[in-house]
Amino acid sequence: MKAPQSSPKPDEEIRIGVYVCHCGLNIAGSVDCEEVAKFAATLPHVVLSKDNRYTCSDPGQELIKKDIKEHKLNRVVVASCSPRLHEPTFRRTCEEAGLNKYLFEMANIREHCSWVHLYEKEKATEKAKDLVRMAVAKAALLQPQEELVVPVTRKALIIGGGVAGIQAALDLADTGYKVYLVEKEPSIGGRMAQIDKTFPTMDCSICILAPKMSDAGRHPNIELLTNSEVTEVKGYIGNFKVKVLKKPRYVTEECTACGDCASVCPVIAPNEFDVGLASRHAIYMPFAQAVPSTYIIDRSLCLNESFIVCDKCMNACERHTVNFNMLPETVELDVGTIIAATGADVFDPTSLMSYGYTEFPNVITSLEFERLINAGGPSGGRLIRPSDMQIPKTVAFIQCVGSRSAKSGHLYCSNVCCMNTIKDALLIKEHWPETKIYVFYVDIRAYGKGFEELYKRAKEEGVTFIRGLPAEIIEDGRTNNLVLTGENTLRRDLYEISVGMVILSIGIEPRQDSDVIQRLLTLSKTSDGFFMEAHPKLKPVDTPTGGVFLAGCAESPKDIKDSVTQASASAARASILMAKGKVTVEALTPIVNPENCQVCGLCARVCPYNAITADKELKKTEVIEAACAGCGTCGAECPFDAITMRHFTDEQIYAQIDAATEQNADKKIVAFCCNWCSYAGADFAGVSRMQYPTSVRIIRTMCSGRVAPKFVERAFARGVAAVLVAGCHIGDCHYINANYQTKRRVEKLWKKVERLELNKERLQLAWISAAEGERFASKIKEMQSIVDKVSKEEIEKSKMLFKKAR
Amino acid sequence: MPLRIWREPLDLDKTKVRRAEIRIIKERCRGCGFCIEFCPKDVLEVSKEPNEKGAYPPKLVDETRCALCSFCQTVCPDVAIITIEKEL
Repeated sequence: MKAPQSSPKPDEEIRIGVYVCHCGLNIAGSVDCEEVAKFAATLPHVVLSKDNRYTCSDPGQELIKKDIKEHKLNRVVVASCSPRLHEPTFRRTCEEAGLNKYLFEMANIREHCSWVHLYEKEKATEKAKDLVRMAVAKAALLQPQEELVVPVTRKALIIGGGVAGIQAALDLADTGYKVYLVEKEPSIGGRMAQIDKTFPTMDCSICILAPKMSDAGRHPNIELLTNSEVTEVKGYIGNFKVKVLKKPRYVTEECTACGDCASVCPVIAPNEFDVGLASRHAIYMPFAQAVPSTYIIDRSLCLNESFIVCDKCMNACERHTVNFNMLPETVELDVGTIIAATGADVFDPTSLMSYGYTEFPNVITSLEFERLINAGGPSGGRLIRPSDMQIPKTVAFIQCVGSRSAKSGHLYCSNVCCMNTIKDALLIKEHWPETKIYVFYVDIRAYGKGFEELYKRAKEEGVTFIRGLPAEIIEDGRTNNLVLTGENTLRRDLYEISVGMVILSIGIEPRQDSDVIQRLLTLSKTSDGFFMEAHPKLKPVDTPTGGVFLAGCAESPKDIKDSVTQASASAARASILMAKGKVTVEALTPIVNPENCQVCGLCARVCPYNAITADKELKKTEVIEAACAGCGTCGAECPFDAITMRHFTDEQIYAQIDAATEQNADKKIVAFCCNWCSYAGADFAGVSRMQYPTSVRIIRTMCSGRVAPKFVERAFARGVAAVLVAGCHIGDCHYINANYQTKRRVEKLWKKVERLELNKERLQLAWISAAEGERFASKIKEMQSIVDKVSKEEIEKSKMLFKKAR
Repeated sequence: MPLRIWREPLDLDKTKVRRAEIRIIKERCRGCGFCIEFCPKDVLEVSKEPNEKGAYPPKLVDETRCALCSFCQTVCPDVAIITIEKEL
């Protein structure tokens, strides 16, 4: 429960309470907590200092609450575990006692001290004192903060009308929210509409998808925008302004899909839906079950360019639905949440010369197979060889085409191909039981519900699985048969097998134009090129951008079931926001001081979220608080000290640096670690009990992009031996790309250090992820040798040269 | 990569592909060039030999490209070009 909040008045006496936690023996085992508490009592503004066994326990929290009231504490410092673990707990404790939660500060003396210095009690105790000193110094400068509450528009935008987008749209629409479903193709349905059967149940893909498609098409809460693309997204969580370009269909909605127009159209072209295996006209419907069930004219093929030379379709249409005067239209939408379900592309095997795709007619892809085996496909469901239209007697599947090899495609596993092949093999067996089927694989990954059973069934039905991909495919020019040669790595012998048809089990890859969506929604990508989730385990459908969620293959390759599951999950996540109708934004956002601001626009240029606008005409720099994620790179960039990063102010960080360097600075390392990766990496080193030197003092910032060069200079001016700036790996930044600024700034600092003829090694930059505890520990060990080598003269020299920063 | 479309559709034999026969009556042509200019499939080009009137009538580049829209026939002011569907 939140008690009425009292904020300290500006001239009010600062009264800090410090609680040093034993955490059983987790801390007390290698840190003398009593001594630390005694030391804390001597620090400025500290009116009360206690040590207790478990501060996070109910009695521990009650004690804090009691003290806040009895001793009129207006700042609280707890020295215990990582703030990533218990900061929310103690913040709540403070709030319950009527203290603003931003007046609480933590000193991490467990993960960053006791656990990593298990056998150096004296030094660990000294370090713990320093950490408490730093926390108290920051606490004295803390200010109460008001969190911004913004309304959430109860409408959602879904980008992509594949099965994931359709499912998310239906879930949200059924919940009662208005949904705009944008699809760039003329019909919704996506890849699933192209597939014949689904694994492991072998039910007909379009039969289970089509009802969902028509549900989405006629749902009163869903507005379909097909043949449309999102061109602009502005705004922030709960309040997005979206522009969608609706490209003209040249056929009005009154179309009854009778097909009279297509039968007279003189233009014939390959149909994309059938992977080019069947033909269509310039006026066409992509497939029979298309939603909306309306024809469309492909103007890139139609004979009519700037004027009408052919009016055959117009004349054929009884209802006069053909209209060549339709124009593109931009619609503007206001939505509160966005789900990106943009899907994936498939790997193009043409580049793998040894498989001869596009050279040998009887080498086909698994997607072409789906259209051939489909009763509604170009061959009426007969698996025919393109060379002679005969049904092959032997068939080979080749797995991992474009997957699991960085050399010939992508490093990652595409997840669906193994089971897809097993399903395809069983389909062939079902129609033509005599067919001899070989599957060449690397590993068969049958990891899901009912998958292993299907694999077993395929083996029982006589499908031959051979471990070892063919090295080469050669075509017999006379019969167009294909000869596969390679090594069977289980039997350790060579094979040479002749088959009538080869099916390349092609992998899934990120959409070629995914950069557009990435830019529009300010998303991040993993090294694979798929969109990155906010947390791989606990926030798998959220993105770093508030109010934007992911579903389906846009996030990673996945099968239909997983896509649907994820779609429902993202719909639920979006619903939470919309049901609440409002959202609070953590008060870590910057405040621009107009007196210092010169409206130079540097802050706006480095902001990864476009959350700052610098209007030179109005001479005003403005922060869109709800769009800001609080990385602080604007504050680090501002040359005029015009930006105050709330809760991570320059003064607070200086205070921490000064406290860390108050004693024996020349033997210490000051490390600036970003909250999400490097600080968490140091936490992980602690959890794993990786031992490293006690000399490091970590200062937490939300992002390494917050680390202004002046902080590093201040540390050197205070005589510190070495400085570490650590952040997320390039490309993995939790603030999209703010760590590029970190890199740039450190590189600039290195140049300066060199120019001043100082030892460049004393400033280190490291990318350490949350999982790389070992990397953090070894970095500190490595830097210890630098610390040991730094001479007194060098320290004095840097103190002098950076004096200005003091 | 988006899907590579490279094969000839398998159902071409079932699709009625209409083949055109284009007849040019050279002596009627006065060389306005409308048929060449407006052909959406670029089936025609200017011939090198003038007719009796001194005009350069069109000549065929590739008759198989003709989609039989017959616009050349419609725009010709001299009724000098006729498109006919070939019986196959």
